[in-house]
Amino acid sequence: MTRRHVRAPSPSAGRVFGSSAGIIYLVFIGLPLAALVFSAIRQGNILGSLSSDFAVTALKLSLVTSAISMIVVVLLGTPFAYLLARSRSTLLRVVDSLIELPIVLPPVVAGVAMLMAFGRQGVIGPFLENLGIALPFTAAAVVFAQVFVAAPFYIRASRIGFQWVATEYEDISQTLGLSPLRSFFRLTLPLAGPSILAGLGLAWARAFSEFGATMMFAGNLTGKTQTMPLAIMTAMESNLGEALALAVLLMAGAVLVLVALGLATRRRWTGHL
Amino acid sequence: MSRDSHGTRGWAKYSVGEFSLEAQWDIPPGQVTALFGPSGAGKSTTLRIIAGLVRPDSGHIEIGGRVVFDGDTGTMVPVHRRRTGYLTQQFHLFPHLKAGANIAYGLSGAKSTAGQDRVRQMIQTLRLQGLEDRYPWQLSGGQQQRVALARAMAPEPDVLLLDEPFNSLDAELRRVLRSEVRAMVVQSGVPALLVTHDREEALAMADWVQVVEKGRLVTEGQPLDVLGQPGRGRVARLVGVENLFDLTVESQNPRDGTMICVGEGIRLEVPLDQEGSGPEPEGIQANPIPPRRVTVGIRASDIILSNTDLRGSSARNRLRGTVSAVEARPPGYTVTLDCGRLFQCNITGAAMAEMAIKPGQELWAVFKASSCFLVQE
Repeated sequence: MTRRHVRAPSPSAGRVFGSSAGIIYLVFIGLPLAALVFSAIRQGNILGSLSSDFAVTALKLSLVTSAISMIVVVLLGTPFAYLLARSRSTLLRVVDSLIELPIVLPPVVAGVAMLMAFGRQGVIGPFLENLGIALPFTAAAVVFAQVFVAAPFYIRASRIGFQWVATEYEDISQTLGLSPLRSFFRLTLPLAGPSILAGLGLAWARAFSEFGATMMFAGNLTGKTQTMPLAIMTAMESNLGEALALAVLLMAGAVLVLVALGLATRRRWTGHL
Repeated sequence: MSRDSHGTRGWAKYSVGEFSLEAQWDIPPGQVTALFGPSGAGKSTTLRIIAGLVRPDSGHIEIGGRVVFDGDTGTMVPVHRRRTGYLTQQFHLFPHLKAGANIAYGLSGAKSTAGQDRVRQMIQTLRLQGLEDRYPWQLSGGQQQRVALARAMAPEPDVLLLDEPFNSLDAELRRVLRSEVRAMVVQSGVPALLVTHDREEALAMADWVQVVEKGRLVTEGQPLDVLGQPGRGRVARLVGVENLFDLTVESQNPRDGTMICVGEGIRLEVPLDQEGSGPEPEGIQANPIPPRRVTVGIRASDIILSNTDLRGSSARNRLRGTVSAVEARPPGYTVTLDCGRLFQCNITGAAMAEMAIKPGQELWAVFKASSCFLVQE
């Protein structure tokens, strides 16, 4: 009854503040991005810059290393995320809360940490060297750095996805004659699919843009460890046009990822689990 | 069904923390046994043990003529090889699959002609025609539960496990689905175990009732024997006899087969018990006998509420009282009447509206002597 008499919030005050803040924010974000595209076009031939050996090598390396990283992340992360989603052990609860540490850790610190582990003077580096394995400053090190920083995004999102799938669904699937493994692939995975894809998209974007840890642990060796972000930094010192072209390409990629995420995570049954 | 019909039987012991469970059952093919009791009695756990979702500490379980669990030999057939049909309260239809695909889910050759025939057959039996291509959330509650039933029955399970499957449906739909499930059980010859805390449901569906409390079997028997006039005090409370009074026998009237019991301001005429109908039935006058205490039960739905003293009616018990509480209990109302002792009376919404019952109002509670029954503690 009283609710009817409450005045609707005055449209003026809230809206004015809201829209002015929104405009300021959009300009703040939009201006640099627009400037980037504008400068790249003004600098000249974007496609020409992108087809240079320097750019193609970096792009290839980024694609290959991030793809390998994602395979590692999915193979290790999926079963682990499932375990985290289903287990009630205290130990795993603790592990679960620490899983996101690499997200908040400065990437440079991650790079240093990996050097201290796998580097020549690292904890297990000398042991690896005896086996004839030298990780630092190789493409493998790039993958290590990417997995280190990107995996938490994937694990967190998939764990949430798995948690949304009530165990009763799996119980019923099994009573209907499907083994736990078949139930996982026919039921749990499709139901958690949108979350898993979202996590994969975020992890891939994070791996692709990895800079600090790669710089520290893998270095900046053209054709070997120089991924796109490192190539942009290198190009900034000598060839601005090239740097701008690469930057625009990465930005376009990011937009694509965002759109793909939106599509992948939209399922008609979302909210009906 | 063409398949050889088997029942299911077994026993199991299971404990976790403070809770311990002892269950045993023997359900012939095509029959429904109801596990009746309050929540926390371990009813659902029994179902999960039979399905193989919970491993008991010890026991022996047979489904479809096979031993699926034996604690002594270490036999433990995994869930997906037990051939059970499991129905839950929330239906749990797979949300990424359409109704038809949900039904076909457990069929090994879902795409084969035989598989498609089976799906069509289930759709026909449960009157789901035209809904095959709908997603679960596009179906009503009753349709969802029918699809869930079709899904459970499609692979021809050896036992049907029903875990309060109608709880989230309205009363009307519940009645319809109960008879549909019951018909399907009888027709397919599958044994079924029904978990419920609804007396009406157990009476409507079960061939046999087990009353359980805190993981233990309290009593079992034919539904009407167990749930109609429950004999023991604890059972009476469990199956929901709302009015229980400890009274003293004042006098007996063997000719009418009744006796008068009094206590704390009320006076009831109730059926004579065995002790009273002793060797001298010729005694017309009420004989003085030593005071004897009895517990009398009256179901809330057996009491008539009236605005006037129904003098001249055949009902032997008419008590005046004051309404102390009115509580909505769908589909009707429960009125608490203070007649010296508190009486719970169930009435319909229409009666409620017509009589405009309010707390403080004076009403008469009227019921037959034969509506009262004696409860042995």
